Amino acid sequence: VTPSGWRRLVARHAESTGVDLSPQTVDELAAHLEDLYLGARADGQSDSAAREQAEKALETSGLRPLRREPRPDPRRPYHGLANDVVAASRNRSLAMLYALRMALRQLRLHPAFSLLTILVLGLGTGAATVVYTVVDTVVLRALPYERPDRLVKLWDTNLERGVARDPFSPVTFMDYRALPTFQEAAAWWRPDVNLVDPGLEPVRVRTIETSSNLFRVLGVSPAVGPGFAREEYLHHPSELQAVISDRLWRTRYHADEGLIGRQLSFNDTPYLIVGIMPPGFLFPDEVDVWQRLSWDLSQHSRNAHFMEGVARLADDATLERATADARRLATRLGNEFAASNQGWAFAVVPLLEDQLGYYRPALYVLVGAVGLLLVIGCLNVASLLLTRALSREREMAVRTAVGAAPRQIAAQLASEGLILSLAGALVGLVIAFVALPVVVAFVPVEVPRLAEAAINGRVLALSLGLVAAMTMGFGLVPALVLLNRQIGTDLRSGDRGSSRGARRLYQGLVVAEVALACALLVSSVLLVRTVSRMMQVPLGVDGGSAVIASVQLTPESGSLAGWAKVGALHSEILARLREQPGITSVGSTNRLPLENGWRGALARPDQAAAPPTDQPQAQHISVSEGYFESMGARLVEGRFFSDRDGVGAEAVVILNETAARRYFGTESGIGRELRSWSSQIGPLGRNLTWRELDGGHRVQPGLRVVGVVADTQNVALGVAVEPAAYFPTRQFPFAAVTLVINARDTATAVLGLKQVLHQVSPHTPIGVVETWPARFAARTAEPRLLMSTLSAFGALAAFLAALGVYGLFSWSVALRRRELAIRLTLGARPVSVASRVIGQSALLVVIGLLTGFALMQGARHLLASVLFGVEPNDPVSTTVAGAFLLLAALVASIPPAWRAMHVDPVEGLRVE
Amino acid sequence: MAERTAIDEAKRGSAELLILALVEDTDLHGYEIARQIELRSSGTLTFTLAGLYATLYRLEAKRWISGRWVEKAGQRRRRHYRLTAEGHKVLAVQRADWVKFVEALGQVAGVRFA
Repeated sequence: VTPSGWRRLVARHAESTGVDLSPQTVDELAAHLEDLYLGARADGQSDSAAREQAEKALETSGLRPLRREPRPDPRRPYHGLANDVVAASRNRSLAMLYALRMALRQLRLHPAFSLLTILVLGLGTGAATVVYTVVDTVVLRALPYERPDRLVKLWDTNLERGVARDPFSPVTFMDYRALPTFQEAAAWWRPDVNLVDPGLEPVRVRTIETSSNLFRVLGVSPAVGPGFAREEYLHHPSELQAVISDRLWRTRYHADEGLIGRQLSFNDTPYLIVGIMPPGFLFPDEVDVWQRLSWDLSQHSRNAHFMEGVARLADDATLERATADARRLATRLGNEFAASNQGWAFAVVPLLEDQLGYYRPALYVLVGAVGLLLVIGCLNVASLLLTRALSREREMAVRTAVGAAPRQIAAQLASEGLILSLAGALVGLVIAFVALPVVVAFVPVEVPRLAEAAINGRVLALSLGLVAAMTMGFGLVPALVLLNRQIGTDLRSGDRGSSRGARRLYQGLVVAEVALACALLVSSVLLVRTVSRMMQVPLGVDGGSAVIASVQLTPESGSLAGWAKVGALHSEILARLREQPGITSVGSTNRLPLENGWRGALARPDQAAAPPTDQPQAQHISVSEGYFESMGARLVEGRFFSDRDGVGAEAVVILNETAARRYFGTESGIGRELRSWSSQIGPLGRNLTWRELDGGHRVQPGLRVVGVVADTQNVALGVAVEPAAYFPTRQFPFAAVTLVINARDTATAVLGLKQVLHQVSPHTPIGVVETWPARFAARTAEPRLLMSTLSAFGALAAFLAALGVYGLFSWSVALRRRELAIRLTLGARPVSVASRVIGQSALLVVIGLLTGFALMQGARHLLASVLFGVEPNDPVSTTVAGAFLLLAALVASIPPAWRAMHVDPVEGLRVE
Repeated sequence: MAERTAIDEAKRGSAELLILALVEDTDLHGYEIARQIELRSSGTLTFTLAGLYATLYRLEAKRWISGRWVEKAGQRRRRHYRLTAEGHKVLAVQRADWVKFVEALGQVAGVRFA
C-alpha cells in the first residue's frame, strides 16, 4: 500500500459514509492507519493480515465525530456568523439576510446616491439629537431644589400698562405672602455691593438682601455653617448676617472653613458670615452673597417696585388656585390703595418656566423646527427611493416572474431603508457628539443650565426611535407602492412607470416637503422681522460706541454731609475723567435706558393736596451734567443740567416728553414747579435739596422744571415709555451710578477710569464694563440666536424641497420622453412643452404653500411667545417665505424643463 | 448491562485524563498515543479511530493540548500533540480528583487501589 493509498482509503470511506472530513484529518487518519499497518508488520504479521487490521480499524469506527466544522473563511469573516443566525432562527432570517446583502450591493452600486442620502439623514438626526439634548438639559430636567415643581416666582403685572413682569413693592408682598395658597414666600432685592478685604483687590459682588426664609422656601441648606437662624421674623435689624456662594468661598478665601463666624465688609458694613452654600447654588441668578434682610418689609412704600420673590405652594394648592387667589387679592388692594395698586396684580409663574424665560418657548420652537427638518429630510429620501424603486420596476417584475414573492421584494426595499437610516443615525450621532460641545461653547448668550448638556441614554434611545421611524417611513413606502401595483403587467408592456398612483404619491411627497419647508421658512422670516423690530425700537438715545461702567461709592454715614460727599465724589470722578486724554464726553446716571427708574409720586403744586399715595407716579432718575449729551439724548426745550445745579442752588428737574405732556399738556413746562415726596430711596440715594423747617419737619421745596428731553425707552422693549423726572446727581446723589464714557476707544476709556478711580477713591472697584452697543445687543441676543438657527434650518428646508421638486420633474420628464418627442414631432413648440413643466411645478408648490400656511395656524400660539412686534400670520413674512419657495421651486424645475424642450423628436419614432 | 455502562462511563471520563497524562512530558502523535494507552492498560482501554481523534480535537479546541505538523525526510507528515500550560493545570486538578474518587470508591465499594 502506498502512502497516497492510505489517504485514498480514508477519503473513500468517509465519502461512502457521507462524512465530510477536512484534508488535515484525512492526512492524520491515513498516517495512523499506516502506522497501524507498519506496527502489525513489525509484530510479524503478514502483509495482508496487517492491511486487514488497519482497514478494520477504519471500518469499525464511525467517522461522524470527526466531521468538518465550518471554518471561518478569512475573506468572508461573517459567513459563520450568518450561518449561526440562520441556524438560530431555523432558516427564517435567511430571506432577511439575503435581502440585506442585496441592499448593501445596491447601495454600493450607487455610491453618490447612498452618500447623499446618508448625509441628509445624518444631518437631520444630528441636529435633532443636539436640539433634543439641549431641551432635555435646559427645559425637562428639574431644578436642584426640594420639590421644585411646587416653587413659583412672584412678579407684579399691570396689563393696562403692558408691564408683564415687574418687581413688586415690599408692602404689597406682605399682603400676598399671607395667602393660604402659599406655604411660605420669600422676597429679596438686589443691592450693589462692594466687597473689600484687607490685602485683596476690592470687587463688586452680585448680592441679594433676602428675607431670612429664602433657603427654607427652596429647601436648600448651606453646605458649611448653620445658615440663617430658623426664626419667624423675615428681617433682623440688629445682627447683620450673610451667606456666600461656594465659588466665592473657593476663589477668594481658598475654601477656609474658618470664614464661618468671621465678618466680611460689604459696602463698608460688617456682616457675620453664617454659611457657605453648596456648589452650583447661585439662586436666583449668579448670586454670590445672600444678606439677611435688615429692615421691615411692611415699613416701605407701595409705590416702590424693586423686590422679587419666590413662594412654595401649599400642599393642597394648585397653580390655578394660587393665580385666582392672587387676582382676588389684587382687586381688593386696587380698591383699597387705588393710587399705588390700581391695575397691578401678582403673577404666579412656575419657577422653572420663569428661569428659562424666553428659552422655553424658543427651544420648543427649535424642537418643532428640527423635527420638521428631519421629516423633510425623510420625505426627500423617501421620494428618492421611490424614484429608484419605480425605475427598477422592470427589475422587480423580472424577479417576480422568476418566482420572487412580493414579500421578498418588500423585504429587500425595506432593508435598503434600514441600512440607509442606520448609517444616517450613526453619522448623526457622530455629528451630535462633535457638535454639542461646540454649540455649548459658542452659543453667544447665557442659556441657563446649558453647560450641563451631555448626550445620555434617553437621547440615544430617541435617536434609535428616529431610526425606526425613518425606516418605516422610506423603506416601506416605496415597497408598499410596488406591492400595490400590478408588477407583472410592466414586464409585458415595457411601459415604464406611467401609472398614476405612483405619480400621485410622488407629488404628495413633494407637496408635503414644500408645506413643511414653508412652515419653517415663514417662522424664520418672522424671527428676522422680530429682531429687526427690536433693533428699530426708538430708544430716544444714541449711545454711539460709548463705554458703560458701573461704580459704587458708599456714604460714610446716612447724614446729609455723608451723601453730599458721595455727590461731590461722583462729580469729581466725572470732572477728572473729562481731563483724561482721548476722552471726549462723560456722564453718569443711576438708571440707563431700558431699565426702570425708581417710581415716586410727582405732582403740580396746585394738585398736591392729596396724600402722596394718591398722586400720579413718575420715574425718579438721577443724572449728572453731561449725561444727556454723552448718551445723545435730544433736548426738546429749555436746558440740560450743569455743574451749577448743586446742593446750595435751586432744586431743578428735567422732564421727559411724556411727563411734560402729563403735567402741562400742550403748554410749555419750563419755569413751572413740581412737587416730589421722595426725600430718599432706601440706602441707595438721598435728595439733598430738602429743607429742615422749624420743629424738625422736612419739606421738599418746589422743583423748577428747567428742561424737557425727548422720550427715552425707560422700560423694557415693547412697553410704553413712562413719565420720568430727571434730577441732577449733585442734588440727588445715588451711591451706585453707571458712567457713560465716550472715548477714542474702549481701552482708553477703561484706562482713564482706572487712573481716576485710583486717585479719587482707591478702594472702589469698577463693576461691569461693556459698550452701549453690546449692552443693547444683549437685549436682543436671544431672538437673534433663534433667528439665525431658524434661518439656517429654513434655508436647508427650502433647499431640500427644491431638490424634491427637481427630482420629481426630472423623473417625470424622463418618463415622458416619448410622449414629448411625439408632441414635438406633431408641431408642439418647445417653449410650450417647457412651460407646461414649469406650470405644473408651480401648481404643486402653490398647493404645498397653502398646506404650509394651514399648518402654521397650529403653531401660532407657540410662535407668538417668541415674536416681538409681529403677528404669527404677518402677511409680509408669509409673502416673503412663499415667494422664496416658489422661486426656489421654479429654479429647480428649469433643468427638467430645459431637457423637455430639447427632447429629440426622432426619439418618438424609435421603438424600444 | 449496568456493569458495562459504569465502566464505559469511567472510560469516557478517564480518556481525557489519560491523553493529557501521556502528552505531559513528550510530544506524541495520534498512533503513539493510542498504542501507549493500549500497552499501559494491557488492552483494557482501547479507542476507536474516530473516538481517539475526536477526543484529541476536543482537547485542542479547549486549548489543553496543542498539535503541530511535523515532517521528517522520507516520512509521511504527522501531527504531534503536547500539553499546554493550561493543560498542565487541568491535569493537576483532574489527577487530584481521580485520587479522591478512587479513595472514595475504595472505602465504599471495597475496591483497592494498587
